[in-house]
Amino acid sequence: MKAGLFICVYGVLFAASFYTYNQFYSNPTVEDAGRLLPAQVKEIAQADGEETLKEIVKQANRTGSRLTIAGMQHSQGGQTYYPGAVMIDMKPFNQVIDFQPEKKVITVQSGATWDDIQKHVNPYGLAVKVMQSQNIFTIGGSLSVNVHGRDIRHESLIDTVQSFRLLKPDGTIIRVSRTENADLFPYVIGGYGLFGIILDVTLSLTDDELYQKNTKEFDYSEYSDYFQKEVKENPAVKMHLARLSVAPSSFLREMYVTDYVTVEDQQLLKDYETLKKERIVALPKFFLGLSRYSGWGKDAFWDIQKQYMLEDNGSYESRNNVMRSETDFMAYESGTKTEVLQEYFLPVNEFADYIDDLRRVLEKEDEFNLLNITIRYVEKSDQAVLSYAKEDMFALVLLINQGRSEEEVKKSKAVIRKMIDVTLDHQGSYYLPYYSYPSKEQLETAYPRIDEFFRKKQQFDPDLRFTNHFYEEYNE
Amino acid sequence: MNYRQFVLSQSIIFMASSMIFPFYVLLLRNIGDSYSQFGWAYGLFALTSALAYPVIGKWADQFGDRALLLFYSLAMSVILLLFPLVTSVWQVYVLQIVMGILGAVQKNTEKAALTRRTDKKQAGADMGRYHFWTSIAAAGAIIVTGYLVDFLTIATIFYVASLLYAVSGFIMWQKKKSIL
Ligand SMILES: Cc1cc2nc3c(=O)[nH]c(=O)nc-3n(C[C@H](O)[C@H](O)[C@H](O)COP(=O)(O)OP(=O)(O)OC[C@H]3O[C@@H](n4cnc5c(N)ncnc54)[C@H](O)[C@@H]3O)c2cc1C
Repeated sequence: MKAGLFICVYGVLFAASFYTYNQFYSNPTVEDAGRLLPAQVKEIAQADGEETLKEIVKQANRTGSRLTIAGMQHSQGGQTYYPGAVMIDMKPFNQVIDFQPEKKVITVQSGATWDDIQKHVNPYGLAVKVMQSQNIFTIGGSLSVNVHGRDIRHESLIDTVQSFRLLKPDGTIIRVSRTENADLFPYVIGGYGLFGIILDVTLSLTDDELYQKNTKEFDYSEYSDYFQKEVKENPAVKMHLARLSVAPSSFLREMYVTDYVTVEDQQLLKDYETLKKERIVALPKFFLGLSRYSGWGKDAFWDIQKQYMLEDNGSYESRNNVMRSETDFMAYESGTKTEVLQEYFLPVNEFADYIDDLRRVLEKEDEFNLLNITIRYVEKSDQAVLSYAKEDMFALVLLINQGRSEEEVKKSKAVIRKMIDVTLDHQGSYYLPYYSYPSKEQLETAYPRIDEFFRKKQQFDPDLRFTNHFYEEYNE
Repeated sequence: MNYRQFVLSQSIIFMASSMIFPFYVLLLRNIGDSYSQFGWAYGLFALTSALAYPVIGKWADQFGDRALLLFYSLAMSVILLLFPLVTSVWQVYVLQIVMGILGAVQKNTEKAALTRRTDKKQAGADMGRYHFWTSIAAAGAIIVTGYLVDFLTIATIFYVASLLYAVSGFIMWQKKKSIL
């Protein structure tokens, strides 16, 4: 009798515990900067060291677990995780292993950020050749998407990588460079973590330099010409950046550009070489906030931004500081909405026609909340199998505010696919670290070698130990 | 409770406790991460056990070994259901205190029961046999659990261990002619 009672009570408690556990605790939920794809992963494993990483891969081979690799998770389409897979957090794996200032090379573990490198090399008067405009990303994450940034003289990141070590899906380690295991070099860089774990990377550096900012206003139709003649042909210009208006009163017409021109008297560098810290961001944050909600806010933000940049014309900044620009003001917290990026590449001489076509598409999309367009330039760089710069390209980064619901994702998808069609019509391509809005056909047009890429992946990792949303979405 | 019942239920208890103890560390690793926290968790366990022993000793004589062992098994089976839900270190500490008391109940009563039964002359051989069976069960459990954690999650072992404790309780619950 008493035993029966206990069985009942125990049964209820067991069920309650099990239910609660499964509901809330069992698998950590992760998401990336896109905040559109929360997923329950099996486990988050910390990359405490090389031995730990080897053990994680070996164990996964024993148990059949799938693995994904995460750096700072600023990619936005689940490239760093997959439901039910073990997610390896690379952030703790962040030591500088070797630094030879006289040879201008550095070897770092892949969880290190650009900020870690900048702090290490800046005292020696050295700087990174190619990286994003911001320094918050990991080296592993940057290699795996083959980044590009404000620099206009060093192609993309792959061109600055000397070698790296790769922990393969079978748990062994190899060195990869242009001479050693050379066939893998163009797959792993820009390989989205699908070929194994990049352990450490040897990068070539360049001198830190002092630049003068040269900012001008333009109409979009004059930009290509200006760029070809005044920027590309002028070796003193080392970096370049432009912004195109998204404000209703000057939509996709007004723009301003900033060229970073080498200063003749480099003795001045010592006055500017201290690495800058994040400044107080309240003001830009406030105006960006306004522009999220109204056309009026967008007009105000554009005017103030342009004004500020034009007033800043002629000021000096060191190379290292140009490559550590503010990110905090972009931080956006909202339960129901999120901010996503798109990036489109297109040949320099297509620019004006392209913008006209893009404007035609977007003028019909009242609900599409486009907050910013930044333009940079990438030199032709076709080393990586998934390379986006098939020739000298402008790169347009679009910041879009959108809802997180299924309905809103669908709406964004419709507009974004139209924009990508326009881009492809102009022999352009698009960037892969973002949300999986593009269709498979669009992927194939933008990346003609994508099948070759997936085939190599399957041949190199036949058990499909490494995976992620990008792979599962587009490989059939 | 007869002797077979006793050995069987104690073997199952050993199995269950050897399942959780070595792997329990994994849970702590997920939640806390400093060695001092390990120290505190196990230290609290040992300390509460120590304080509980004198009282429990008296209870064993008063309520009988079977009642206490039964209480231990059932209480453990319930407590273990809380482990998978633990999210912070203080919760681990609280559970360690409760487990410390329960651990004292088990250890003390198990020894008392053995002493009460054992014929003084062949005590050594008896103890040897008893420890053989219980330790075999423990060894098997540890090895199997290693695989369980690899393939499943740490939470699974707490649920399995909880069920084992419940089973050990039921074995003791059955009325059998007492030899003890
Ligand atoms: C605000 C913002 C600004 C950006 N600006 C630029 C820019 O200026 N230029 C540009 O090119 N891109 C830019 N990006 C895109 C960004 O460079 C990529 O998303 C980059 O991958 C982010 O690095 P991460 O450390 O967050 O990598 P994650 O998002 O964590 O990872 C990206 C990919 O790399 C893989 N990976 C990570 N570490 C390793 C490793 N050790 N071994 C193997 N694979 C690994 C992951 O599996 C994943 O597929 C920007 C993104 C944001 C959100």
